[in-house]
Amino acid sequence: MKRIYINEEYCLGCRLCEIYCQVKHSKSKKMIKAFKKELSDVLPRVLVEEIGYNSFAIQCRHCADAPCVDACISGAMVKNENTGVVTCDEEKCVGCWSCIMVCPYGVIKRDLSSRKIASKCDLCEDEDIPVCVKNCPNEALKFGEIKDGGLTGSKKDVWSK
Amino acid sequence: MALKLTESEFEIERDPDKCISCQVCVRQCSNDVHDFDSDDDIIISDSQKCVGCHRCESMCPTGALKIKEREAQFKTNANWSAHHLHNLYKQADAGGVMLTGMGSDKPYPIYWDHILFNASQVTNPSIDPLREPMEIKTFIGKKSQELKFDNTGEEEKGFSIKLNTRLSPQLELSTPIMFSAMSYGSISFNACRSLAAASSGFGTYYNTGEGGLHRDLYKYAGNTIVQVASGRFGVDADYLNRGAAVEIKIGQGAKPGIGGHLPGEKVTRDISNTRMIPQGTDAISPAPHHDIYSIEDLSQLIHALKEATRWKKPVGVKVSAVHNIAPIASGIVRAGADFVTIDGLRGGTGAAPQAIRDNVGIPIELAVASVDERLREEGIRHRASILIAGSIRSSSDVIKAIALGADAVYIGTAALIVMGCHLCQKCYTGKCNWGIATQDPYLTKRLNPEIGTRRLLNLLRAWSLEIKEMLGGAGINAIESLRGNREHLRGVSISDRELSILGIKHAGEPW
Amino acid sequence: MSGANKYDMETTQYLIIGNSASGLAAAGAIRSEDKKGRITILTEEEQVNYSKPLITYYLAGKVDLEKTGFKDRDFYTSNNISLLTGTRVISIDVEGSHVVTGGGKKIKFGKLLIASGGKPVIPKIKMTGFSHKKRQGCSLMDSSNYSSIKGVFTLTTLEDAMKVRDYIEKNEIGSATILGGGLIGLKSAEAFLELGIKINIVELADRILAATFDSRASSIIENAIEARGSSIHKDNTIDEIFIRSGRISGYRLRDGIEKNCRLLIIAVGVNPDLSFIDKGLIRAGRGIKVDGRMQTSAPNIYASGDVIEGPDILLGQNRNIAIWPLAVGQGNVAGSNMAGREAHYQGGYFMNSVEILGIPSISMGMTNVDVDDGSSVEVKTEFRPERNQYKKIVIRDNRVIGIIMIGNIERAGIYSGLIKNRIDLSGMKENIFREDFGIIHLPSDYKKHLVVGEGIEV
Repeated sequence: MKRIYINEEYCLGCRLCEIYCQVKHSKSKKMIKAFKKELSDVLPRVLVEEIGYNSFAIQCRHCADAPCVDACISGAMVKNENTGVVTCDEEKCVGCWSCIMVCPYGVIKRDLSSRKIASKCDLCEDEDIPVCVKNCPNEALKFGEIKDGGLTGSKKDVWSK
Repeated sequence: MALKLTESEFEIERDPDKCISCQVCVRQCSNDVHDFDSDDDIIISDSQKCVGCHRCESMCPTGALKIKEREAQFKTNANWSAHHLHNLYKQADAGGVMLTGMGSDKPYPIYWDHILFNASQVTNPSIDPLREPMEIKTFIGKKSQELKFDNTGEEEKGFSIKLNTRLSPQLELSTPIMFSAMSYGSISFNACRSLAAASSGFGTYYNTGEGGLHRDLYKYAGNTIVQVASGRFGVDADYLNRGAAVEIKIGQGAKPGIGGHLPGEKVTRDISNTRMIPQGTDAISPAPHHDIYSIEDLSQLIHALKEATRWKKPVGVKVSAVHNIAPIASGIVRAGADFVTIDGLRGGTGAAPQAIRDNVGIPIELAVASVDERLREEGIRHRASILIAGSIRSSSDVIKAIALGADAVYIGTAALIVMGCHLCQKCYTGKCNWGIATQDPYLTKRLNPEIGTRRLLNLLRAWSLEIKEMLGGAGINAIESLRGNREHLRGVSISDRELSILGIKHAGEPW
Repeated sequence: MSGANKYDMETTQYLIIGNSASGLAAAGAIRSEDKKGRITILTEEEQVNYSKPLITYYLAGKVDLEKTGFKDRDFYTSNNISLLTGTRVISIDVEGSHVVTGGGKKIKFGKLLIASGGKPVIPKIKMTGFSHKKRQGCSLMDSSNYSSIKGVFTLTTLEDAMKVRDYIEKNEIGSATILGGGLIGLKSAEAFLELGIKINIVELADRILAATFDSRASSIIENAIEARGSSIHKDNTIDEIFIRSGRISGYRLRDGIEKNCRLLIIAVGVNPDLSFIDKGLIRAGRGIKVDGRMQTSAPNIYASGDVIEGPDILLGQNRNIAIWPLAVGQGNVAGSNMAGREAHYQGGYFMNSVEILGIPSISMGMTNVDVDDGSSVEVKTEFRPERNQYKKIVIRDNRVIGIIMIGNIERAGIYSGLIKNRIDLSGMKENIFREDFGIIHLPSDYKKHLVVGEGIEV
């Protein structure tokens, strides 16, 4: 199952990942329109942490034993058996914030724009790679699977054997 | 404080319809040009501080920024150009030597752009490099005058041929392109790593420059040419024996005749370890090597280095292209060097006085032609390979350089551009926004060696393919056949004098 | 098995008593390990699937009846689980490996899970009947008779909520009293406020949500409730209830104040329901005692959820912690072990996420610890009542043991990770209070493990 892996060494702290995440989850899906008209309504699902010159972007890890799935009182937080992706069903979420209480990465946010619901990374299921990974200008985020001690499924070039 | 005479060199145009105030530009500019005003929710840019590196423009997700060179609106004056006025204003304030970075940007004639290459038609068929063998493999080192063989076999058992002549050590290059000397200190470690990994990946070499060899690059040592410069930074027996070849640096094209200076603030713990100097002290490379005051001294050093490396590695010498480059090169070859590196007028640097960078030395095209000619005349051309540097900008420059007599070329500026450099010429400030000419850890992260290596490999691959195409087009199937073969070149729009120094005919003249 | 004889025994490989968070988690864990073994779930309630925490949302009208479920409609069929509703277990024959239901049915099991949850505590309160203002007899209200008093309810099941809603509609209720200022009490209070009903909360302690709030945290919520024209009576309880024509008409508080009342919710607490447990055979204290694999003292019998006593990693002893996330976690462990895959329960601690009148709050662990001289306990607080914000962190031996966050609950879960993994914060305690506190401020090996992801060499 493919997951996002973080390379802290090359994160610039530019926050373009947050911006592309916001665009992806906006209504218009167009950057200028989303920012000029919808900004207060769109939350990024990825979060950049920074201290000094170190930084990294962190989002939902889609954990194997996801504590948010256990804690959800309405059955909104579910883990897909096949893809392993944990998603929040916005129709079922009642905004109790139990998931925020138990997530050890602190990557779930309260979305107060319309109904009160929990908002987090959904691994951009309708894209071939998540938009934060695709648009990171320094390839600090990688998308792939761990196999044989290495990360496959990430960007290949003609030189890798 | 008196009125500032200088004006902004650059103008920043921000399209308010496109700017989304994401503040990427604010975060990415190391010169603090952009600032976010949270009250008005708008970004304000201070053009005075802009160095024209285009980092913000590249990072902007909506393309809202445009960095333009600002035309100074002085009264038109063909003699007192804006450049001269700017320099005088700056010196009035600073009172010191004006520094600059990268290669000379002055409009001296670029001979590459006056030389044309040949192609086969009718008399000599072209070769398609994708279908037929095309050899661009290059060997750098001393070649023997003649090769002696023994035929030791008997006719019935099949002949077996044994080579009797002892060959000098050679460097094997898969393409006639290497990466120029750029020291760790003038560029970041991530940049060095990219160059090293790309050389190793493609089968060519890079040069440590005068910065010594960093421990983490030992695994690429087989593709490293180690340099012995006047400051002897990082030089010990281990260093010499790890590298694939040793290059004594007498001078470099950007600043012929003078030494180098890395300010103490930039001598971090890492650089201190690599260069073997105390942390925080200035790293000064003196103008001459204080043990080389004559050609005999040079010969002695060459042989000392050969002894130290057990005669297993090529030992060469790097000089700037100056007026007497031909006899100098001849002397170097006779002194025992396995290769001579000549760095022309337009060679790059991390920091050099502007006056020297722009006014001292000669273009490499003329230098290589005259050196190749001279060595052939003296019958010693085979005794050393000629490597050239000093603004090789494309694969066509490489072809022309080889046709004029070079064995291989070094690329410096082109490699940095491929890693992101935008030639703002402010390397000496140490605030390179692309993470190349800096040691600031916040900035060096910007050059991800994985990406840098990939781009350099792509560069080598692209140019190699183009070289093969051009060779094939000229009906040549081995780079050996092109070397020094002036017949494949014609000049255009240059004087007879220049044609004669280059040793080529004018376009339109058959052989 | 054939035959209508009620003494015939049904058999199932896995039998689960309880159809809520813990029981269903166990069923899911069993099914993912054992695709074939028969699973039967018994519940004394009539509803097929609903989430107990959602009943106050239903009461408030925020969630429709159809949306109170927390598993998909086809959960039972797609996992091949037989669900028997309206079936209460009255005894367990440990030696004979079968249970006996209220209807006389016997069900034999391979492995049993007791996940029957708890029952509301009904305090014994003096009841005085009135007829035309004249005092009639006195008696005691207790668990056997409270439900026959009109207007007196508990709120722990969906049926309770449906009854309360019905009562409110039929009786034009404008105010209600809630006895108990704990989690259920507060959530009920919020539901009533949502319906426009004024409330009186009566709480024995000096603060509401006494398990994890301190008095400052409590004051923020109290102010919000009082601003809505409702009142809170702390350090107080109901000493006497007045009944008229079989319906509650008022009560007298311990401090002497008397109030009219037509709707009383009893929410003083929940206790594990051990009525069908033979403590001689299945050891229990306040709750059923289990080991780290959720197994009871009887072989093949497991227990999980609100009915057990489990390890509290902060107190270092076993106790009953009746909260949803722990019930699910324990159910997962129990189910896994029942199906033959080893799993261990690491223990839990009390934690709570509740939003009252738009003020979110998250609190967990030990938050009412005193700082003595010479002890290793440190407390850091930031109190901004004008913004309805409060943050309190309790640290013992350089490890976080408790936290309260009110108003701003961003990233509260990071502290949960710190508590659970007992992360030593020596040298970086100042970081905890930063506005932008995050994983990047934590000890580097914990941080790297979290950031880089499983499987990558760090």
